[in-house]
Amino acid sequence: MTEPDEDIEMLAAEYVLGTLDAAAAADLAARARTDPAVQAAIAAWEERLTPLSRVGGPVTPPDMVWRRVARSAGLVRPFVQQPGLLARVWRNVVVWRCAAGVGFAAAAVLAGVFWAGGPRSAGPVAALVPAGSSAAAYVAEVRPDGRLLLVALRPVPVAAGKDLELWALPAGATKPVPLGVLPGEGRSVAPVRVPAEGTQLMISLEPAGGSPTGAPTGPVLYAGVLGNGG
Amino acid sequence: MYDAEAPRLYGMALRITRQPSLADDAVHDAFLQVWQRADRFDPRRGTAEAWLTGLVRYRAIDLVRKRVREVIDDSVPEEADPAPGALDAMLATAAGEALHRCLSALEERQREVIVLAFVDGKTHAELADQLAAPLGTVKSWIRRGLMALKACLDS
Repeated sequence: MTEPDEDIEMLAAEYVLGTLDAAAAADLAARARTDPAVQAAIAAWEERLTPLSRVGGPVTPPDMVWRRVARSAGLVRPFVQQPGLLARVWRNVVVWRCAAGVGFAAAAVLAGVFWAGGPRSAGPVAALVPAGSSAAAYVAEVRPDGRLLLVALRPVPVAAGKDLELWALPAGATKPVPLGVLPGEGRSVAPVRVPAEGTQLMISLEPAGGSPTGAPTGPVLYAGVLGNGG
Repeated sequence: MYDAEAPRLYGMALRITRQPSLADDAVHDAFLQVWQRADRFDPRRGTAEAWLTGLVRYRAIDLVRKRVREVIDDSVPEEADPAPGALDAMLATAAGEALHRCLSALEERQREVIVLAFVDGKTHAELADQLAAPLGTVKSWIRRGLMALKACLDS
């Protein structure tokens, strides 16, 4: 089915405007998947009309929406429930996808846009990954008040009689600073200030209650470096 | 992202669906798509903002058109016409300024149908009804308006 350019242009414009009926819209969406010209026409119209999305005025979504997204995306519920937390987790998940090399370019671009667009500057973030794997187990974020937020992306089982302990190794330092034992299922906010940029975060397996020596005694299971996400 | 993007997207979805539960669904579904299909986003084709806006809008429109209109919740009041000055919200960005300028250059009816269609997610029939104009006339306002917009924006 070949149509003159102006017809494709008009169909794409009305598709983006939302005035095509459901059948015609589904048709065009299907064609866009195989026809780069249709795809490009739609993308160009999305670009042209997107500023209109501000006209209705912003409305803060209920935190429940983010909880649902996190649940659907297979993330565990975070340890601390508070408004906006899941949004930050989500933002970190974008970083996590970067770290995992999944959709790298797209995720990097998204992260860049979202960071650049935020009225509040987001703190450095880290994805903590197990040795030999690319799938993050935790994401960490330095919050505006300087505290470190750590969230597990999936349940991390710990053997009886053992605990996981979080450590920070600032850039250039040789001795890790203990940040505390992770509670229960390993999700925690460490109420401490850490030098942010370039600091390596580590989670080691320790005897119950944490390292008796003030330095890691067990294997480091997860590690990542705080950076600015781009 | 939450601070900058979610309120804009949620406000937009709420305006289209007029039901918080459907707006929740639209935003949820769109973000899940971002999560599952980030690799489909191609920065050469457009900005992430436009891509994400599209995902939320198409989902919101899809959801609301599947619903029977009678079940619509009254908790979000129907707004008649775009309030005077409502378009000024676009002036926040350079792209928005250009669109604002080009919309202002359109004939009033053309501008009105395009804004109502985008912002409120109205169909041809709903626009014809609301503006008490024949369907064919509404379609023609939309097409001419869109073509004039394109010429203005691309110039």
